[in-house]
Amino acid sequence: MATPSKQYKAIGEDLWKSRTEKVNAELFALTYGALVVQLIQDYEDYGEVNKQLEKMGYNIGTRLIEDFLARSSVGRCSDFREVGEVVAKVGFKSFLNITPTVTHPPPTSRPTSVQRQTSVPNSSFTLTLDENPLAEFVELPEEALEGGLWFSNVLCGVLRGALEMVQMQVQVEFLSDVLRGDETTELRVTLLKYLEEEVPMGDE
Amino acid sequence: MSRLDGLADPPVLYVDGAVMDYLAIEAVSALRASSAVAAARATKIEREMAQAGFVPPPPVPKPHDNRDSVGSNTARPHSYVDEEDEAIRSRLEAIGLHVGANYAEKLCRDRALFSDSLDAVKFICKELWVSCWDKQVDNLRTNHRGVFVLQDNTFKPLTRISSWEGRAETLKRAKLAAALPAGIIRGALSRMGLHGTVIPEVTAPPHCTFQIKLPKNA
Repeated sequence: MATPSKQYKAIGEDLWKSRTEKVNAELFALTYGALVVQLIQDYEDYGEVNKQLEKMGYNIGTRLIEDFLARSSVGRCSDFREVGEVVAKVGFKSFLNITPTVTHPPPTSRPTSVQRQTSVPNSSFTLTLDENPLAEFVELPEEALEGGLWFSNVLCGVLRGALEMVQMQVQVEFLSDVLRGDETTELRVTLLKYLEEEVPMGDE
Repeated sequence: MSRLDGLADPPVLYVDGAVMDYLAIEAVSALRASSAVAAARATKIEREMAQAGFVPPPPVPKPHDNRDSVGSNTARPHSYVDEEDEAIRSRLEAIGLHVGANYAEKLCRDRALFSDSLDAVKFICKELWVSCWDKQVDNLRTNHRGVFVLQDNTFKPLTRISSWEGRAETLKRAKLAAALPAGIIRGALSRMGLHGTVIPEVTAPPHCTFQIKLPKNA
């Protein structure tokens, strides 16, 4: 039987409490914000900045997952639904001290604007962030709004990188962001496929 | 009364230290790529203007000069690498300026005005250092004429810098890692009304010194 979500919540909180090195969230937010501004100045293209933030996040994610696996005793998730629970309640909690709400879409597929090539049914979850430590003091100028900047796009990369290291190829995208004037900040994580570990020839 | 205190003094929020470390590390790579793009664009514009006859053609690349690396004895193979590092260093310092100014403003909120520049620098050595890097500065020296040297024997951003490529590469990374903190110090001072320069010096990480030069009238 899968671990009930209340237990994951407790695991996340314990992990957060046991962390010895904590950094003031304001320092973090200020640093990230200034970095985004610098990237905008250098690239002069919001689409490119989104891509670079995601790439940066990917690199961070591939390291972060090792840290996560080392410090937490969470075992292998039995299905993608459980992955969502662990990411929200243990992952986000132990690194950013926030617990986004996880929602899973109903089993029947809805028509979407983007073709999603996924071989696995019931394979996505949405994270709703009530608070976003990255965006603490941020207000986006008109230009950035029109240019399509996803300020916290680094988070998409982090999730993609981290999950790839545990054999899941995912697509992560922002659906909405309060910085852009939306009601909520939502991330959707879609499983594209499981990455098989290499099996030697002749093995069955 | 205590409920009102809660509103006036919102709880301090934290994130995990590892997250900040990884961000700082990846920021260097991200800035390396972005500064190259910016430089390429500037070069292209310069060439176009030269071709159109608006400006004289760009000069032949100058030989390496020591301006950007104070206290360094490592021989650099060619000046291009220096320009690249200098572009990253100045971007990191700029980020630090923003962070330091705003962060110091919050830290200073409830305290009295600084009596003089020494007072302000002491605040940097104690409150700011503790808040950013978990300890106080180990040694502060001044010539009482606007120059201060801050010394930290185990400077937190440098404690995990190492490189399998050897000592020269490690020093290069350490110098870049000190750029953001130097900016934080400079930004903090400027928000306190003291506009000067902060130059980090790293010869044996994690040991690090910062030389602050302030105008004498403070």
